[in-house]
Amino acid sequence: MAAGDEQLMLAYREGDAGAFEELYRRHKGGLFRFVLRSVRERSVAEELYQEIWMRAIEARGRYEVQAKFTTWLYTIAHHRLVDHWRKKGLQVVSLDIESEFPAHPGFEPQGILQAKQGLERFARALELLPPAQREAFLLHHEADMSVAEIARATGSNEEAAKSRLRYATARLKEALGDD
Amino acid sequence: MTESDKERAERVGDPKLQSAYRALGAEEPPRALDEAVLAASRRAAKVHPAPLVAPTGRRSWSVPLAAAAVLALAVGVTVHMQIEQPGIDGLPPAGERDRPEAVARSSPPPAKAEKPAIAAAAPPAAMGETRAKPAPKTEAPSPAREMTAQSAEADQGTRPERELRMAEERAKSSSDRSLAGARDMATEAPAAPAPQAAAPAALAKRADAAGQAAAESPERELERIADLRKQGRHDEADKALAEFRKRHPDIKIPAAMLERVERR
Repeated sequence: MAAGDEQLMLAYREGDAGAFEELYRRHKGGLFRFVLRSVRERSVAEELYQEIWMRAIEARGRYEVQAKFTTWLYTIAHHRLVDHWRKKGLQVVSLDIESEFPAHPGFEPQGILQAKQGLERFARALELLPPAQREAFLLHHEADMSVAEIARATGSNEEAAKSRLRYATARLKEALGDD
Repeated sequence: MTESDKERAERVGDPKLQSAYRALGAEEPPRALDEAVLAASRRAAKVHPAPLVAPTGRRSWSVPLAAAAVLALAVGVTVHMQIEQPGIDGLPPAGERDRPEAVARSSPPPAKAEKPAIAAAAPPAAMGETRAKPAPKTEAPSPAREMTAQSAEADQGTRPERELRMAEERAKSSSDRSLAGARDMATEAPAAPAPQAAAPAALAKRADAAGQAAAESPERELERIADLRKQGRHDEADKALAEFRKRHPDIKIPAAMLERVERR
């Protein structure tokens, strides 16, 4: 039986480099896609992705099994992304004030839906999601997180996390013409 | 089943959404990035992670040592300043004090009419207390200003003490308070007593009696007049007494001294 993520991380904390390699192999794809689809630019995504792993390596001494390893890892990722957005003058807005979301430049749902088809439409809809909603959706699909885990990783409450996920799902379904 | 589990089951169960998302692609990080991260992880595994407890080794003693050194320096400077303080009270700041003109300035003028007046007005007992400390002040404005705190202490323990002792002895012989006040002032008065005390004979030879008197303390001046009277040099004594009264109109000469300095 394969060791759990948490055991691997504890082993790495004690100096087992091989344990980290296994952890990295398990989570590198999901984390990379999470970052890439959050920031869209590949070069920026690569830089952030590396920094997230570096922070995880640096923080190994403080690692305690209080939650799933993925929650811990994606919490680091969330904080790094928030830093990134802050530097760019953006904010991760709460879904509690959905109506106050800043309109994305060129965001015309009806026009997009009419102009584009299939996957491209879905990708575009994902891109256009408010950052908090997109983050909730990506955490759910890439890290296989529950609502409670999403709330924990993003430092919000379950209600907010659930709302974000629901709104994101609704919009993406709409993009697929499945509403 | 909780609400969140239900929601999750609903979304996971949406095959269209799932497949659409999977169809976006399964991008992976570049190999170089993998290598960089893994290399960093291997390097980090060789060293112990940052400890949660206080650091040990070099840093454990260097910081307290530095703090102790700073503390010791601060205490040393404070003590040093406190030792020096009595001797430099009336002097200009250190930089200025070392300059010849500053020394000259800090050296009191030969005769200060105001000083005895103040001294006479003050209660002698209190003055006796306060004089004991400032006395070295008047001695200090010599070129030996640059002396160390130790030499200053030594100085305090020699000349000023001797003078005070002498003053006390003289005070015993006189019950008059105003003379005691004048005497106290004499110890404090910046009358440049150093050259006089060192060579009274040379001073006696000075032709200019007024100039000599001006350089003396009131008490000494009276003693000198009494000496003149004793030697039968009444004219000189009268002249000196008149000069004294002119310069110190507010000093009341005690009866005992008056008998010695006035012509009979």
